[in-house]
Amino acid sequence: MRKILVALAVLILLSSISVATAKDEIVIGFTMSQTGKFNSESKEQFQGLKLWADQVNAKGGIYVKSLGKNLTVKLVYYDDESSKDRVQQLYTKLITEDKADFLISPYSSGLTASAAIVASQYGKIMIATGAASDSIFNKGYNCIYQIYTPASRYLTGAIDMLKAVDPNAKKIAIVYEDSKFAKDVCKAAKDYAEQNGFEVVLFESYAPGTTDFTSLINKIIAKSPDAIIGGGHFADGETFAKQLYEKRVKVKLISLLVAPAVPEFAKIGKAALYVTGPSQWEPMVRYSPEMAKKLGIEWFGPTVEEFVEAYKKAYGYEPGYHAAGGYVAGLVLQKAIEDAGTLDTEAVKKALEKMDIMTFFGRISFDTGEYYGRQKGHEMVYLQWQEKKGELVKVVVWPESAKSADLIYPLTLKFGKETTETPAEAPAKEEKGPGFEAILAIAGLAGIAYITRRFKP
Amino acid sequence: MKSLSWLIGLLIVIGAIPMITHDVTLRETVFIILMYIALAESLNIILGYTGYVSFGHIVFYGIGGYVAFLMIQNYGLNIIPAMILAGLFSALVAYCLGLAILRLRGAYFAIATIGVNEAVKALITNLEQVGGAEGIYFNIKVYSAYGGAEHAIWLSYYLMLAVTIAVVIVSWFVKKSKFGLGLMAIREDEDAAITLGVNTSKYKTLAYALSALFPGMIGAIFFFKNGNIEPESAFHLTKSIEMIFMVMLGGFGTVTGPMIGAIVYERIRGFLIVSEMFKALHIAISGIILLLIVLFMPRGIIGFVRDKIPALRRFVE
Repeated sequence: MRKILVALAVLILLSSISVATAKDEIVIGFTMSQTGKFNSESKEQFQGLKLWADQVNAKGGIYVKSLGKNLTVKLVYYDDESSKDRVQQLYTKLITEDKADFLISPYSSGLTASAAIVASQYGKIMIATGAASDSIFNKGYNCIYQIYTPASRYLTGAIDMLKAVDPNAKKIAIVYEDSKFAKDVCKAAKDYAEQNGFEVVLFESYAPGTTDFTSLINKIIAKSPDAIIGGGHFADGETFAKQLYEKRVKVKLISLLVAPAVPEFAKIGKAALYVTGPSQWEPMVRYSPEMAKKLGIEWFGPTVEEFVEAYKKAYGYEPGYHAAGGYVAGLVLQKAIEDAGTLDTEAVKKALEKMDIMTFFGRISFDTGEYYGRQKGHEMVYLQWQEKKGELVKVVVWPESAKSADLIYPLTLKFGKETTETPAEAPAKEEKGPGFEAILAIAGLAGIAYITRRFKP
Repeated sequence: MKSLSWLIGLLIVIGAIPMITHDVTLRETVFIILMYIALAESLNIILGYTGYVSFGHIVFYGIGGYVAFLMIQNYGLNIIPAMILAGLFSALVAYCLGLAILRLRGAYFAIATIGVNEAVKALITNLEQVGGAEGIYFNIKVYSAYGGAEHAIWLSYYLMLAVTIAVVIVSWFVKKSKFGLGLMAIREDEDAAITLGVNTSKYKTLAYALSALFPGMIGAIFFFKNGNIEPESAFHLTKSIEMIFMVMLGGFGTVTGPMIGAIVYERIRGFLIVSEMFKALHIAISGIILLLIVLFMPRGIIGFVRDKIPALRRFVE
């Protein structure tokens, strides 16, 4: 009996040693929001990342010089339910039990901040994708690297674009939704505009959920700006664009957050025409290896066409910027590992600090100063709704290096010979159904009624 | 006393395992279990003993979190005094609120508490001084006062264990005291309680304040460990519903019930979420399991045990 036990113990010991030394895969850990409010964005991001892993593994893996062989990639992930409760628990598990070599962030800045503490506690590199906040990056972390263009540079490109297309334009109106994100973006845009010699004639916010912009639009008309920038989310941006059109406001450029990037924006018809807006990435951008050569930096990974084609083949539809962000997170990690030639965290960190590459997503390089790890190379692209064969289509018009069509300027072209007078008819009110909230409220009331009845037998 | 001592013993055993094994993954799991136990036990004081369904109870957790976070961020306070201040502040808010909304009974009270939660959330979202919608983020250097992030997380764990033990002890003594008896009289029939000379408005308000004290402290610990706080996660109504569910699952009005309910709830969710086989369907499966428990044990797990095995009644309070 004793001998058997001893033999068994030796066997277990041996097997554990052999497991510990044989490294034949790179484990990448992350949580995704399979359920909860970030569900759809997070799924896209995951699909992008998975496509990258599948492609790398199909080629035999990532070559690691110090081991002299290719290592395949293994993705380990859990559902964080879009909530903070479990993020730290799951990231600790990923690091200590699943032995993740590298981490990818959850979707959204809030969840990323929670994960960042655990990552930095264990000194693990975490690539943050789907997080556009600036505020994580001046908090002393030294292992978090951002893929997205941060909020502080979201609308600054619109000002560059205006300056390039019309040197005579001088007056800008900035109108934004009263939310943290839109406010941060617009404050940064205001400073940037003033530095560039523009006069900000109007800087005003509106409450979230605003449906009637009449008074704001009258103020804009009174100041007669050359351009309007701002916005907030989809619903308010769409309404704002619609009412600007109904009032025939004669500005030369409109650039709004979020709304123009959403395909449904085309539903407002002619009001959407020539409106521009920023996006992290679009499938028709034109980043290319030639361009990288011109800039004197290295091109890495597939071309835009190759990526869009592969994604369509795998999932049946065109990728958006969430999916592209997921893919690039993997790509950046791959490049850093290949450059470092080892899986050692310090060496890979050095490779990330030095990184300055061009990919199908755009340029990637990281800040190493006060905002360590913040994205520095990547630029927002600006898209514009244009008319092609009677249909509205999105095209990328800025920056020069990425554009797929020329900017149509000024916006007033769409009014043709119409007069500036405001049309007599009032803006059509949208019927809003009771929808999901009502059902939830009824279910909640029923639940409360049931529970309270239980106390009174 | 027996029913209390084995509960505390159990808590200490659960809490000590990660300290002995130094297994950090286990520590994270136990941290969440302890947090759920403490939240469910404190809710039980107003929900289980007094019979008032506080649907938006998570508001006190959020307020506590914000108070502690701001204290640490702006005044460099240590987490322990910050946590105590946060708890006291939550209790104070509950006391003032209680004077107004505890006049409402039944469903009206429940709806008022949801309203309070949403109102505080909207207020914080619009207050730039406390970070607005994006919330506040710690600089990682905050943790260096505790010897780095790792020690800070361990400290949060010890504090959570201490608070949980305190909640269970308080909950047990409340149940055994004259105060608790008054609360239960209110639960059974509030008008009769008034006739019998129970100062119901004072009792209810105190119970509400007491049940808000600990969530405030728990919020402080959780968001300290988490490193950032934002209105969406601090005043998350789903978590409030989870709290009610844990109390109901274990058996409301008992001391053991919320504790068992919290452990069972966390283990079912926590196990399914990381299990290879079930993780794609974890919410559906845990929903079915929980539904079955509630259907077949309408008085909760502890209520069921007490009904079926009378011999255990002495030990299971």
